[in-house]
Amino acid sequence: MRAFEYVRADDIGAAVALVSGDPAAQYLAGGTTQVDLMLKDGILEPERVVDITRLPLRGITADDRTLRVGALTTMEELAADPTVAERLPFARTALLAGASTQLRNMATIGGNLLQRTRCRYFRDPGVPDCNKRTPSSGCAAITGAGARMHAILGAGETCIALHASDLCVPLVALDTVVRVRGTDGERRIPLTEFYLLPGDRPDLETVLRHGDLVTAIEIPLPPAAIRSGYLKVRDRASYEFALVSVAAALTVEDGTITEARLGLGGVGTIPWRARAAEQVLTGAPATVETYRAAAEAELRAPFTVPGTAFKPELARRTIVRALEELGGDRT
Amino acid sequence: MTLTRPVVVGAGVDRVDGPLKVAGAAAYSSDITLPGMVHVALVRSTIAAGRITRLDTGAAEQLPGVLAVLSHHNAPRLAAGPTNNLGPTPPPPLQDDRIRHHGQYLAAVVAEKPYQAAAAARAVTVEYERTEPVLRIEDPAGELRTDPFGMDATRGDAAGALAAAEVVHEATYVTAENTNNPLGLFATVAQWSGGRLTVHDATQWTSNTCQTLAQMFEVPESAVRVYAKYVGGAFGSGLRVWPHVVLAVLAARTVGRPVKLVLSRPEMFTGIGHRPNTVQQLRIGAARDGGFVAIEHEALQTVAMDDENLEPVAASSASAYACPNVATRDRQRRLNIPCPGSMRAPGEAQANFALESAIDELSYLLDMDPLDLRLRNYAQVQPQFGLPWSSKALRECYQVGAERFGWSRRDRRIGAMRDGRWLVGYGMAGVSYLWWQVHCEARATIGSDGTGYVRSAATDIGTGTYTVMRQLSAELLGLELDQVRFDLGDSNLPWSPQAGGSGLTGALGNAVHAACRELIRTFLRTVVNDSASPLRGCTIDDVAVSGGRIHHRADGKLGESFVAILARHGLDELTADGVSDPPDPQEVGMAPAGAFAAKFVEVHVDPDLGLLRVPRIVSVVDGGRILNEKLARSQIIGATVGGVGQAILEETVTDPRTGRIANANLGDYLVAVNADIGEIDVTFVGEPDQLTPLGTKGVGEVGLPGTAAAVANAVYHATGKRIRSLPITIDDLLG
Ligand SMILES: Cc1cc2nc3c(=O)[nH]c(=O)nc-3n(C[C@H](O)[C@H](O)[C@H](O)COP(=O)(O)OP(=O)(O)OC[C@H]3O[C@@H](n4cnc5c(N)ncnc54)[C@H](O)[C@@H]3O)c2cc1C
Ligand code: SF4
Repeated sequence: MRAFEYVRADDIGAAVALVSGDPAAQYLAGGTTQVDLMLKDGILEPERVVDITRLPLRGITADDRTLRVGALTTMEELAADPTVAERLPFARTALLAGASTQLRNMATIGGNLLQRTRCRYFRDPGVPDCNKRTPSSGCAAITGAGARMHAILGAGETCIALHASDLCVPLVALDTVVRVRGTDGERRIPLTEFYLLPGDRPDLETVLRHGDLVTAIEIPLPPAAIRSGYLKVRDRASYEFALVSVAAALTVEDGTITEARLGLGGVGTIPWRARAAEQVLTGAPATVETYRAAAEAELRAPFTVPGTAFKPELARRTIVRALEELGGDRT
Repeated sequence: MTLTRPVVVGAGVDRVDGPLKVAGAAAYSSDITLPGMVHVALVRSTIAAGRITRLDTGAAEQLPGVLAVLSHHNAPRLAAGPTNNLGPTPPPPLQDDRIRHHGQYLAAVVAEKPYQAAAAARAVTVEYERTEPVLRIEDPAGELRTDPFGMDATRGDAAGALAAAEVVHEATYVTAENTNNPLGLFATVAQWSGGRLTVHDATQWTSNTCQTLAQMFEVPESAVRVYAKYVGGAFGSGLRVWPHVVLAVLAARTVGRPVKLVLSRPEMFTGIGHRPNTVQQLRIGAARDGGFVAIEHEALQTVAMDDENLEPVAASSASAYACPNVATRDRQRRLNIPCPGSMRAPGEAQANFALESAIDELSYLLDMDPLDLRLRNYAQVQPQFGLPWSSKALRECYQVGAERFGWSRRDRRIGAMRDGRWLVGYGMAGVSYLWWQVHCEARATIGSDGTGYVRSAATDIGTGTYTVMRQLSAELLGLELDQVRFDLGDSNLPWSPQAGGSGLTGALGNAVHAACRELIRTFLRTVVNDSASPLRGCTIDDVAVSGGRIHHRADGKLGESFVAILARHGLDELTADGVSDPPDPQEVGMAPAGAFAAKFVEVHVDPDLGLLRVPRIVSVVDGGRILNEKLARSQIIGATVGGVGQAILEETVTDPRTGRIANANLGDYLVAVNADIGEIDVTFVGEPDQLTPLGTKGVGEVGLPGTAAAVANAVYHATGKRIRSLPITIDDLLG
């Protein structure tokens, strides 16, 4: 741990200016990721920490088309929101399947989007080879034995680190938009374009520029007829990240799937929108055979290491199960 | 005096230390703060084998608050620690440039503040000459130690009997490395003053820590005092004097100030032992009617460089069943790994999984109910000694367990039982726990106000020793619970063995028993010629105690109080010592029995997703006399939860290339959480053990073994998949 300056921001513009102008400054929200990485793991060593929790970015508003969630709203607050319970039940399930009550009371929605990977090699400065931490140093996870919690989609030889958020899985399926404040004003970025695949720069994780502040997310509310569910598969029955999770929303009319939205967790280097699967599903009969074809389409080319070899099959089956629970089987 | 069969004990008295712990008022070693105290942070090796070529502390020494940086360059040579009944002391730290394992301590930084020490520790740079580490248990490059405990057993001719057996089952079973993860981080506070050393430590054995530090630092034992008033769990990891304890003491001596060293969770994974992984071969031969004709059990486990670890695995199979031909062999592979050590039910936890899985497998070959097969081979006498057991109610464990569980509802066909999508399986296992008892001492005092004070150097690692020993002392001295104080966790008190091996309650209980009896005798001696005393001339056999009085057995009114005796004789108090020693089996003509247990488990398996849940576990335990049913039950529940962890979750993962533990934190190393645990039903059966006056048998560990085997056996019953490797996880059950 290195000594750092702590600043409490009480104005959005000032906060953005402070961090944007200082490469060694970082935001602090609930701190459940940030403080671990700074104080326990020693991975982040900012010289200045800008606490944004007093900024007026907390709260939820809804109209009939969109739910707008301030970036500093906590996970527990969002889970308790009546509109979420009614219109976005799978987002509620995903929230409550994540972390623990204590953490969810601290953790913010902005922080959830920007949480860092749980990769055990990334989080140990004693491990020299981590492309995400030190570009071009190699990847200890690929050669190591502890890669059970790693990604198989969007992954490659440079990095297989998982984006472990549960909440982002339904959010990415719903075409959520992220509102960002930079030095040049406010931008709206679709969540599906917010994250970057590791490619040859696993150290770059999002399209944000240094100092950009997430101010809110806007979740388009799906049609009332849609049925949604979140299925999280993990070794431990609670308090663990997903090995595989599926956020699915289906509208089935007369046995035919008219709308399908599918997000995957536990498998992607970024929250994974399963577009290939959606394509198979849309317009197809609501049958197990369709679900299998959709799962197959999405997992055509996974990147696995010995520790994750079981994941493609687990992902296929979890997708099928999630869809079957929503759409039934009309065969 | 009628003290040999106390009756008040047994009641479910609440923990006497409970309120303190709930209020945060119980000071664990990490809570101890001394004036002028400074802090230690550790630098650990990031390779598993080789040599340090350069260790540069210059930058660290310049940082604010840094008082000293200890390394092999400047640390004094330390004498080796003693060898005790668990083996030698782990190698002392900072003695040379050799790297034995990833995570080995290379330097210790002492600074005014903990964060200054941590920052400076990161500023120490180390360069290595790396050699190829030996990391896999199968690797022939690692030294193979045969019969390391001298406990390999043979009976009859196992190989010959196997060759001739009508039915033979043979298989290899694998158990993962597990790490003791007590909630309390281990911490040592050390202070030297005028050649005297005071240590507060998370140890399970103050007497040993005292002796070891005295020997290593070459001071008399009388100059060393070790406290462990409260320990935040240990599960065996506090049985040895680990290098961090030595470093704290060394640091305190170097800077001449009290120091505190608190391990981080990652350091807990490399510095305080772990349950070694095993590969075990089991061969069981049986006649068609189910009678065992031969058992061969070979177990290979890991051990660290320059270390020993007493962990008999195969050995326990020699006495579990009646079988004329038996051969057990233990072996250890020496690897570049952190020192293994005891973890709740050491050896038994691994062995029982192999043996009780193998018996289950055999039951299918024989087309017998697995419970019937165990009863068919019940060891009525101790098979290795041929002597009657000092107590054994395993048959009752099976019977009561089967009844409580509803074993008769089990449909024997594989995969025949369902609950919606879930396949349901029933499995069971038996447990014959080894006996362990060692010398122990205690002291008892009654003061002029009539209250009792009983003590021993023993520790209470959260198991309830304070409570049970206070109950027992109250019973034995005829006082109320609140009239007695029981003190422990201080090496200046009479010598005690470790809180380990399920042996402390027996050893300490009998020492307390001896001390209290001796104290009553001392009172009787005081009044032996006292014409004013109604107890004049009485011997201990003539009297009983109750209500703060000694009185004639036959006539409760004929007696007097402790207070009266002391007052009349002008005494402030009377004190007496007691010891207990393990009996010699040959002399008493009985085979000393440990606890026995039967485990019945229901599992649910989702065969598509590979999910495994354990909604129900029935444990029936023969623990001899149960001194406090509530606390004993908690021991069985906690151990069962640990067993579930071993069965379905816990695995310490070591990178095959670097020797680094990849999941050294509680986020990645999965212990069972509440949601993993269903109904746990605990029942005690049996009689007081005949070997000792108290008749207790330890119950601290017996609740753990059997769980994993019963889970695996239930998984087979549910799915037809025989999983011979722990933990059983989703990837094992997919498909
Ligand atoms: C033990 C544990 C278990 C967990 N389990 C789960 C789980 O099962 N599922 C799950 O989804 N999550 C889980 N999490 C992750 C948790 O949800 C995240 O840590 C949390 O959401 C982060 O929010 P925060 O407010 O604490 O962010 P912080 O830790 O304060 O910040 C996280 C990062 O985001 C940046 N940041 C924060 N807010 C903003 C903003 N508004 N604009 C720009 N940058 C910002 C910070 O600089 C930092 O880099 C777990 C975490 C822990 C510690
Ligand atoms: S997976 Fe990515 S984060 Fe993990 S070690 Fe490899 S490069 Fe680093």
